[in-house]
Amino acid sequence: MIALIQFLKGYLRIRVWGFSPERFMNLCSMRNILLWDIAKEGDVYYMNISLKGFRSLRPIARKTGTRVVILQRHGLPFFVPVLWKRKIFILGLLLCISFWIFSSFFIWDIELSGNYQITEDIFMSYLKSNHVTVGMRKRDLDIEALEKGIRRQFQIVTWTSARLDGTKLIIQIKENDTPPILSEEEEEGGKDLIAPFDGKIISMIVRNGVPKVSIGDEVTEGMVLVEGKIPVLNEDSTVREYQYVASDGDIIIEHTITCEETLPFDHIEKEYTGRTKVKYFLRIGNIEVKLDEEQPFLVYDSVIREKVPVLFQKLSIPVMAGSITHREYSNVEYTYSEEEAKKILSEKINEFFSSLEEKGVQIIEKDVTIIRGSSAWMLNGSLLVRERAFMQADTVVGPVPGEDTAAR
Amino acid sequence: MKKSSRLARQKENIVETLQLPKDVCMGALRVTLTGNSEAWIENYRGILEYTGQTILLQGKTCQVCFEGSRLSIDYYTNEDMKISGCIAAVRFL
Repeated sequence: MIALIQFLKGYLRIRVWGFSPERFMNLCSMRNILLWDIAKEGDVYYMNISLKGFRSLRPIARKTGTRVVILQRHGLPFFVPVLWKRKIFILGLLLCISFWIFSSFFIWDIELSGNYQITEDIFMSYLKSNHVTVGMRKRDLDIEALEKGIRRQFQIVTWTSARLDGTKLIIQIKENDTPPILSEEEEEGGKDLIAPFDGKIISMIVRNGVPKVSIGDEVTEGMVLVEGKIPVLNEDSTVREYQYVASDGDIIIEHTITCEETLPFDHIEKEYTGRTKVKYFLRIGNIEVKLDEEQPFLVYDSVIREKVPVLFQKLSIPVMAGSITHREYSNVEYTYSEEEAKKILSEKINEFFSSLEEKGVQIIEKDVTIIRGSSAWMLNGSLLVRERAFMQADTVVGPVPGEDTAAR
Repeated sequence: MKKSSRLARQKENIVETLQLPKDVCMGALRVTLTGNSEAWIENYRGILEYTGQTILLQGKTCQVCFEGSRLSIDYYTNEDMKISGCIAAVRFL
């Protein structure tokens, strides 16, 4: 605090020498002239004195027979005239500050998050049509109206929040992720449930349609399991007409599937030599500045790290700096041992099993063998599985028998 | 001479009896030391001698001499002053 006051009032570093410098100091203190940082080198004294005190120093110096020389000038009273000479500099500084303040009244970036189905382009064009654009004045933005407008325009948006962070408009939305309820359309013609593969029916629950097979039946691929054509009978049990429906039911078919996997004896692995080269680059917009373009090694891969400086992130200036690490490697051929091959193949088959289970397929029996083929390791498997049939096909629209007779 | 010393003793007695601060009433020097590196001095008249090794101050009744090395005066006003450096001895003359 004292240093600040001293700076504002201005002070001098002076050199005092002559007949009686001690008396000079005593007289200064008598006249309430503050002296500080007094040091002595040889016969010469150095000290700081306030600007006001220095102006009344002449009689003291004369009385004590000392000489006073100014060494340094410090503080605002000396700085202002220097600054005043550089009018253009001050003007530039003021203009810069005023531009800075002026530009903070505008929105310079719009950030959208939480959109999955609404694309950014659609959203931005909506904002543009509502005169919410980059470069608009902050006070012209009605955030509440904008939030309301977004919810009204996009039915899928269930929640929205817009806020200003500095010169950035941040819009967060939440979309309705439950699937929209579609009104069931009356379809013309029915749907059959057909067997997607050969097999044996294990269980059967029919909710809609006419079952054509029963539990225990062997079915072939493409066979109709449930027909979407329900006959409406007359009193004499002849068919009056057909009602076409989308057949529905849980039909479990047991069938056998086979799987095959091969693994070549040899494989190539990257072996890093340990030699690396790091290159740095700077990207401004689409322009990339690299130090050199020459190929670092014969065979290599590269790891690119990019970083946007925090200052540019806040200002949304597309400046990116980063490094590319080139790592040299050599391709080395390896041969799998039997254990390794079995391990890799069994991992693959386990992945296949879990993908089946994810689909809701129940595995009843597994029979997997791994053999050494002529050129590769081979895995053959046969699985007995139970799977639900949900393949649909259009019901064949047939003539109503009654109509035929009537026509005759 | 005798009369003045008698008067001084009487004054000292009165000050002691009334428990008044001696630096105010008797004009005694007040020296505050912080370790051997800093010293604050009040109630002095002026500097008699100042070198890097010695600072001799004039009080109302006596003189005080600070001896040491690299002695410097941080500030010097009519009221008080601060000496810093390596103080080896404080002598009253």
